[in-house]
Amino acid sequence: MASVTLKSVSKRWGSVTAVDDVSLDIADGEFMVLLGPSGCGKTTTMRMVAGLDDPSEGDILIGDRVVNDLAPGDRDLAMVFQNYGLYPHMTVAENIGYPLKVARVGKAERTERVRAAAARVELEAYLERKPQALSGGQRQRVALARAIVRTPRLFLMDEPLSNLDAKLRVSMRAQLKHLQHELATTTIYVTHDQVEAMTLADRVAVMSKGKLQQVGAPLDIYNRPANVFVAGFLGNPSMNLIAAQAEGGRLIHAAFSLPADTVRPGKVFVGQRPEDMKVTEPEKGDFRGEVFSAELLGDAALITVRLNGDLVAVKAPKDVRARMGDVVGVSFDPAMLHLFDGQSGERLADRNGEAGKVTPFPQARGERHP
Amino acid sequence: MASRGKSLIGKVPLVILQLAIAFLVLAPFFWMLSVSLKPANEPFAIPARLWPDNPTLENYILAFRPEFRRYFLNSIIVSGATVLITVPLALLAAYSLTRYQFRILSVFLAAVILAQFFPAGAMIIPIYKMVKAANLLDTYASLIIAYITVTLPVAIWMLRGFLTRVPKTLEEAAAIDGARPLRAFFDIVIPLARPGIVATTVFVLIVTWQEFLFALSFTSTKEMRTLPVGMNDYIGQYGIRYGELMASSVMVSLPVIVIFFFLQRQFVSGLTAGAVKG
Repeated sequence: MASVTLKSVSKRWGSVTAVDDVSLDIADGEFMVLLGPSGCGKTTTMRMVAGLDDPSEGDILIGDRVVNDLAPGDRDLAMVFQNYGLYPHMTVAENIGYPLKVARVGKAERTERVRAAAARVELEAYLERKPQALSGGQRQRVALARAIVRTPRLFLMDEPLSNLDAKLRVSMRAQLKHLQHELATTTIYVTHDQVEAMTLADRVAVMSKGKLQQVGAPLDIYNRPANVFVAGFLGNPSMNLIAAQAEGGRLIHAAFSLPADTVRPGKVFVGQRPEDMKVTEPEKGDFRGEVFSAELLGDAALITVRLNGDLVAVKAPKDVRARMGDVVGVSFDPAMLHLFDGQSGERLADRNGEAGKVTPFPQARGERHP
Repeated sequence: MASRGKSLIGKVPLVILQLAIAFLVLAPFFWMLSVSLKPANEPFAIPARLWPDNPTLENYILAFRPEFRRYFLNSIIVSGATVLITVPLALLAAYSLTRYQFRILSVFLAAVILAQFFPAGAMIIPIYKMVKAANLLDTYASLIIAYITVTLPVAIWMLRGFLTRVPKTLEEAAAIDGARPLRAFFDIVIPLARPGIVATTVFVLIVTWQEFLFALSFTSTKEMRTLPVGMNDYIGQYGIRYGELMASSVMVSLPVIVIFFFLQRQFVSGLTAGAVKG
């Protein structure tokens, strides 16, 4: 087990900056998810931790040791690749046992540990097969078994579920979570899927354009996004962000006006999640608009309403019947408003006065596993 | 949607074309075999016979002289040494060219292909002078060096095609698993590039096995002659001994055919693997 520390790590290729001054503390045993759209630098960050890419600047520590100059094999970590990275000419057993073979573990012990690792991911029946003869989910499990077979101090997972179909992804997600909980091994997990991030992570690090946007527990980030990027990226459907003007203790928009006592005058983005908004009778809402589309999600209905040039999504109870073209009212929940600076996009301090970007990992892993 | 019948009819011209090409390729082999089995008076019998009335092995017995055995051994030594040096060298060169990206390497790669622009005939005189200056005339070394020069560039380009198809992720996975680069090269890259290595080996073998011009120019004694040059013995000033010539041709072709027979599956998969992406 080990903690991981990134100290002002940057990665540049020529004039392209892939990772820009990222500092991050990952606690021992923590499940940290790096979340962001493609090209945001999350995979590069992980590859630098793995030792597959060298940082242009900054230090990477595993435990107390700076590992910048250590070969990947000397960092005592295992990695699961997006396309699994299985050796096609080796059987499942040989694939899982390869790290042990390289480490010169004796044959008898190797066989035993391969069997144990395979049993953990329910692969015992496939040990003699080649990877081509396996389904995507099975290949994924081989990659996992190869990662856990030598009990490393750190797991790195690069979008491990993205090549699986939706249903399998959900069940593998649960397996992963369970496995990591059991092994209590520090894990860095890269994904662009915010649902994976929310469900798996102890803490999420949201990245965009090479920069760290916010670090915190999934719910903290969801409830208090640090800027408009995080606000729009996390949550499905994503948060409504409406440009407005703060003036004399109110938020003024051409179509509505809301009280906002603590905000300084200027341009702001008013953010509210679709589930916090309500569809009302046309005359009762904060504003009224034409229904642009109405989609039944099953457990709820997603109703999109025109607001001047913008579209505002509202997650309504599934029995709300609105047809395209109807005029409806929409009301905000004033307690659940997110306000962001109109220029910088940063979260504006609210009543509690805090707009923190990094929340530390709350508890040591040991306390949760007595 | 095309019906089954239509697609069958559509195949007929293709099959006819394939048969025609197969005939063009195989007919000389058949004639070679046929002539080699004919008694001395029969190759030019009129009307010509496709197959001898009384097949005989006497041409083979005559052709398998001590000199022939010597040429055979020489050919094996020269071709074998060339393969053993060219293929590993090309493998290492091609690997560096696919895995390390420096601008100078693409210049090098272009230079490698440039060397192939010159036909052997254009290079033979300078190479002869060099071989002579190095006191290597009439030695195995002269031929081996010349053959490496000719085959190495093509081998590098062939193997480079195969090695670029070995995903880099696999080597990274091996690195994470603790393998040093050389270990990953042997454990992962070489097994996966095997069809390409086989194809390249066969290519180098065939080129050197049949090479005539360098072998004729650099060797002067019978002790150093290779098979293609040695077969010249049957083409005399006053006549050509076709029976023995064809019998030795069969014997020269046989090893190549046997090797090809056993490796054809890998060879073909190697060729197509290099051509089709993914």
